[in-house]
Amino acid sequence: MKTIPKIVVVSTALVLMLVADIPLLPVRLVPEAQAIFGVWRRTARRCVVIGSAVAVSSATAAAATQTAVAQQQAAAAQKQAAAAQQQAAAAQKEAAAAQHQAAAAAPPSPVAAAAGQPLPLGTVVPMLPAGCITTPVGGVEYYYCGGNFYRAVFQGNNLVYVTAQPK
Amino acid sequence: MNRLNFRMAAALLAVGVLTLSVTVSTEVRAQTPVVDPAATQILKRMTDYLGGLKKFSVHTQNTIEDVLDSGQRVDLEISASVVLSRPNKLRAERKGDLIDQIFYYNGKTLTLYNPSNKVYATEPAPGTIEGMLDFARESLGLVIPASDLVYPNAFPLLMQDVTLAVVVDKTFIGGVKCDHLLFSRPGVDFQVWVADSGRPLPRKYVVTDTGSPPMLSNTTVMSDWNVDPAAADARFTFVPPKGTKAITFMPLTVQTPTPKGESK
Repeated sequence: MKTIPKIVVVSTALVLMLVADIPLLPVRLVPEAQAIFGVWRRTARRCVVIGSAVAVSSATAAAATQTAVAQQQAAAAQKQAAAAQQQAAAAQKEAAAAQHQAAAAAPPSPVAAAAGQPLPLGTVVPMLPAGCITTPVGGVEYYYCGGNFYRAVFQGNNLVYVTAQPK
Repeated sequence: MNRLNFRMAAALLAVGVLTLSVTVSTEVRAQTPVVDPAATQILKRMTDYLGGLKKFSVHTQNTIEDVLDSGQRVDLEISASVVLSRPNKLRAERKGDLIDQIFYYNGKTLTLYNPSNKVYATEPAPGTIEGMLDFARESLGLVIPASDLVYPNAFPLLMQDVTLAVVVDKTFIGGVKCDHLLFSRPGVDFQVWVADSGRPLPRKYVVTDTGSPPMLSNTTVMSDWNVDPAAADARFTFVPPKGTKAITFMPLTVQTPTPKGESK
């Protein structure tokens, strides 16, 4: 009988002590720690934070500066590690560039597949389907193809084509 | 025996409570801004200097990180030449992946011109560079890279919600010794490299989206700074070459199909 409360207390204490390392709990040591330098940083920053929390009593500007210095060192160290990884990445980059060229060269116009059917007015496509005929109407250039009239417009910085009714 | 048990329980409970309180206090601490005044001073010196320049020209190399549908990371590159003359003139020539564009702003109108497609669009614009940048972004969806550095109130804008500001190191960008600054705010990290002697001009600017897992960045490397460029008015006004056609900007709000077509 006496052992039951003992077990309860011990296990409660253990759970409480583990709180710091359970990521799913709402109480976390460093929220979004990896937002700065990826997963490595999580470890580095946690050490810094725990270290400075010891001197938590006087939360003065001096403490803030200490933390800043420690984080600066951590950032500098990680920068070196990143430089090492960069070499490995360089080799892969060439392959990626080749694929990007291939992706850009391919005509990925999903609307072109639907050519022949009238599209709702105001439909925006990144490029004209093949075989459009240029027809100026009222000083505006329209492109007619697949049963649709298109007009060139800037959508932000991008030149796109939008289906329209010539008038 | 009973008393021993009680003491033991009390001790363990105390340990547990202590652990929890340390956890909570570190949590509070992690959210306390860590702002090194040395970093903010360098940033302010740079934005003040840039904001005080009557005119300047600069070459920028803009790298936009992207992820292919197939999962690979690729970069899009855009080279730009920018000429700015306060209070109301700006010209930016941009060439690169998927873009060949000249932007003109003469204090009255802004024009976007695609030489390769021979099309341009002109809109009436507010009378100052800052007003025009706001209008271009909010009403037309136009993006002008690193424009957040040229606002006269760039410093408070950049420092808004900043939770971390540190001087990482000194390093070299394009042969110029720079202070490397790192700033963090919810969802965005940004780094600025500022020349550490002479004119405090920015040499590199990286904005990283930390709100989504790929943590993609937009990098702008700045070179060929000139604080006294040729800035004749004619450079900022677009004169359509023969054969070019006028088109329009699509208003930002019209994203859905309109039943009656455009009433231009």
